[in-house]
Amino acid sequence: MQDAITTLINSSDTQGKYLDDASLERLQSYFRSGEIRARAATTISANASTLVTQAVARSLMYTDITAPGGNMYTCRRYAACIRDLDYFLRYATYAMLAGDPSILDERVLNGLRETYNSLGVPVGATIRAVQAMKDVVSDLLGAEAGKEMGVYFDYIASGLS
Amino acid sequence: MSIVTELILNADSEARYPAPKELRIFQDFLKTGEQRIRIARLLAENEQRIVQNGSARFWERVPVTPSNSGNPRKTASCQRDQGWYIRLIAYSILAGSEKPLEEIGTVGIKEMYNSLEIPLRNIVECMRCLKEEAVLLMSPEDAAEVVPYFDLIIRSLS
Repeated sequence: MQDAITTLINSSDTQGKYLDDASLERLQSYFRSGEIRARAATTISANASTLVTQAVARSLMYTDITAPGGNMYTCRRYAACIRDLDYFLRYATYAMLAGDPSILDERVLNGLRETYNSLGVPVGATIRAVQAMKDVVSDLLGAEAGKEMGVYFDYIASGLS
Repeated sequence: MSIVTELILNADSEARYPAPKELRIFQDFLKTGEQRIRIARLLAENEQRIVQNGSARFWERVPVTPSNSGNPRKTASCQRDQGWYIRLIAYSILAGSEKPLEEIGTVGIKEMYNSLEIPLRNIVECMRCLKEEAVLLMSPEDAAEVVPYFDLIIRSLS
């Protein structure tokens, strides 16, 4: 995986250069965001299961998907769904701390759509749940940190579609 | 690899959120960003000076060495490598981790210079000279960040 620091180092190294002013400025704003990122991670980690519950309530719970014949019908499927949402939340939090989405590709998104398709998991409903999670996380964290987390939920959603 | 990536991969290997202690380390590291950027800039701006003065110092101590053999091509490539090590140290300072320096510049360093038939003892002495020159340019506080990386290069050569 990469983070905000190593992506800049790697791209400078392939050119054999020091980080230029533009890169150093980007680093500086990342360095300055440490407190807000750490606080967001603490809050999410303390509320992870509630956030998943709320995201499901907002997006999937009261639709046909939880009724007989739906893809979240049977406890086993329901459990698999909330487990995946739990993963999405945790990996989005990692990416937010890193200031870089590469860990989402490496550990979540690569092959996920194909896996879901072969298992018959509806991708559209999954994306709706990810977007609902973005909203409930933003409600909890407030605008600034919510916006930063939103970047990575959007990344998951677009990686699935 | 940076200190940030390290702690995230650690947490992920146990499928958990980063622990409070890890988040405190993360935050403390980011707080030192200004200093890291200052040091990286200083090394970038003074690379040539460190290499030139370091070479002069080095040739005084070790006159018989490829970079001082009168072959300008050898001198240039030795000094180019010296500049590269200063750049890699700047990367490691920014990352707060020895990993960039190791991954790019010290894994395989002995094998490479042995095959180039450059005496490792000479490179060690040269790195000491570069370190001494670099330290002259900075406050003791900044020097304390830089010195361990030069020492790591020296250690990996012996």
